[in-house]
Amino acid sequence: MTTKKKYILAAGAFVLLLTYLSLYSVRETEFALVTQFGRPVRTVANAGLHVKWPFQSILWFDRRLRIYNPRPSEFLTRDKKNLVIENYVAWRIDDPNRFVQSVGDTSAAEMRLHDIIWSGLSAALGTQDQESLVSATPDKAQAAPRLDALTATADRAALAQYGIRIVDVRIKRLNLPEQNKQSVFARMRAERERIALQYRAEGEQQALTIHASADRQKEEIISSAYKDAEKVRGKGDAEATRIYGQAYSKNPEFYKLLRTLDSYKKVLDDKTTIILSSDSELLKVLTRGEAGAK
Amino acid sequence: MSILLGPQPEVAAAVEISRPPAKRRKRRIWAWLLALWIVSGAYMVPADQQAVVTRFGAVVNPRVPPGIHYALPRPIDSVYKLKVHQLQRTVIGGEIPDAILGRTQPASSEFLSGDQNLLNVRVVAQYSVREPQDFLFRTADVERVVKTAVESELARRVARTPVDDILTTEKVAIQNDVLQSAQRALDSYQTGVTISSINIEDVTPPAEAADAFRGVAGARADAIRLVNEAEGYANDLIPRARGEAAQLAEQAQAYKEGKTNRAAGDAARFNAIAAEYAKAPKVTATRAYVEAMEQILPKTKKIIVDLNGNLDVTIVRRDHNAATNPNGDIQK
Repeated sequence: MTTKKKYILAAGAFVLLLTYLSLYSVRETEFALVTQFGRPVRTVANAGLHVKWPFQSILWFDRRLRIYNPRPSEFLTRDKKNLVIENYVAWRIDDPNRFVQSVGDTSAAEMRLHDIIWSGLSAALGTQDQESLVSATPDKAQAAPRLDALTATADRAALAQYGIRIVDVRIKRLNLPEQNKQSVFARMRAERERIALQYRAEGEQQALTIHASADRQKEEIISSAYKDAEKVRGKGDAEATRIYGQAYSKNPEFYKLLRTLDSYKKVLDDKTTIILSSDSELLKVLTRGEAGAK
Repeated sequence: MSILLGPQPEVAAAVEISRPPAKRRKRRIWAWLLALWIVSGAYMVPADQQAVVTRFGAVVNPRVPPGIHYALPRPIDSVYKLKVHQLQRTVIGGEIPDAILGRTQPASSEFLSGDQNLLNVRVVAQYSVREPQDFLFRTADVERVVKTAVESELARRVARTPVDDILTTEKVAIQNDVLQSAQRALDSYQTGVTISSINIEDVTPPAEAADAFRGVAGARADAIRLVNEAEGYANDLIPRARGEAAQLAEQAQAYKEGKTNRAAGDAARFNAIAAEYAKAPKVTATRAYVEAMEQILPKTKKIIVDLNGNLDVTIVRRDHNAATNPNGDIQK
């Protein structure tokens, strides 16, 4: 190989190296911060191929949304009730320049976020009653708009100080303090027992109502049947009376005689002692002979 | 590199003379490598997937359908393939093995209901990729974001609902509400996913109060049993009463018929006798009287006295005593 050819090869290699050092590609997930001897000179947010001076270097920052999930902590509501609240923060890096100067890395960022959010959250929760977070009547639960306001103020602060965009702050989990739980369980048991009693009592009430209504219906049916039956009987009696009256009134003396004789048959039995006058109609013949029959 | 060298006749000639086949082979190898590199840009997207193509990191084709395609070879273009239709699962309030084994983990599954009861809730969310570009590049850990958003909405929804409703009637409503609001949150984060279902797999009261909750179920069963028994009683009683009423009506009807028939019979008899009586009143009356006496007097004790003499009442008493004395014989 000749010397000239060596020179040319060396020049080619140098050009390649310069090209390699001047070109860089930025992915969709990243920001590139171009620094010159450690001093940030510009932020590149557009993905694609870019050019820089070979002596400039690049810091990469993940621009994707991430979730910061601090440990649950106890907050005091306006009505002095304790709630254990676990919240989450959706955030991403928005200004790498500020971020690298004030924060540096993700775990440091999360510490800063914790400070901003915690104070904001305890202030926001301190202005509302427990009912607005936990309530059986849905209209009263209105914590969401308050946290929207908190998100907006925290976002402004974080953006100005740390170059971080806070996309959302929300409550992730609501719970009661550990030391309250035993009493809560006791209350739950008592509530259940009350409800069980109520079910039994309601069942009994319903059963008694059905029972009594059945008894009443029975009484109604029987008494109304009795009423109708007596009417029918009365009609029968009336009819019989009418028939008797009609028949007997044709010949009252004879009826009187027959009826009286019939009643004798019933009234006079073997315990009866009859003292008969020898002059009576029946015995006249006995005592007076044939003349008695006249 | 040989192309760069340019025209250098003497040297080239010398090289060609000394090693002409070697140089040609070298060129051919370079050409083959170049061709291979260019061809390596071809790629296939399987039927269940879609691809995103980026050039130097920037998206140039956000949605490549299944089939064979070509992109510029690495490192210029990159191809990201995604199983867009595949449903991905995530469990809130426990881990996937818990869901399979039916365990509950109090720490991660405890939710506070609107009436301040604690409940263990486990929910399974299923989601799929809707926007591959957002899914790939906007969020650091998509599964965690989905899980967090669903958990947050679930906690909020449960904290507005009384425990009885959560355990019984409100389940489906909770699932729908959580799905909608969590989807809204995920859209605002540009995660590029669609939640396809939220399913409450398990809602149980805490172990500390489980027996009391079972007691309520027992009480409800008891109440239903009592009511059923009462209904059984009613169902037995009322038909019986109707039967009894029918019986009363029939008896009354029978009484009426009997009474009128008897009256008619008696009347007919009387009329018949009365007709005869009219013909011979005196004789008939005497006959009736005497016949009646014949029937009555044999049964009774009789004392016949003469009206002209005085009646000694003591004989009646003596006779009466003898008759009622159980040891004495009855005298007639």
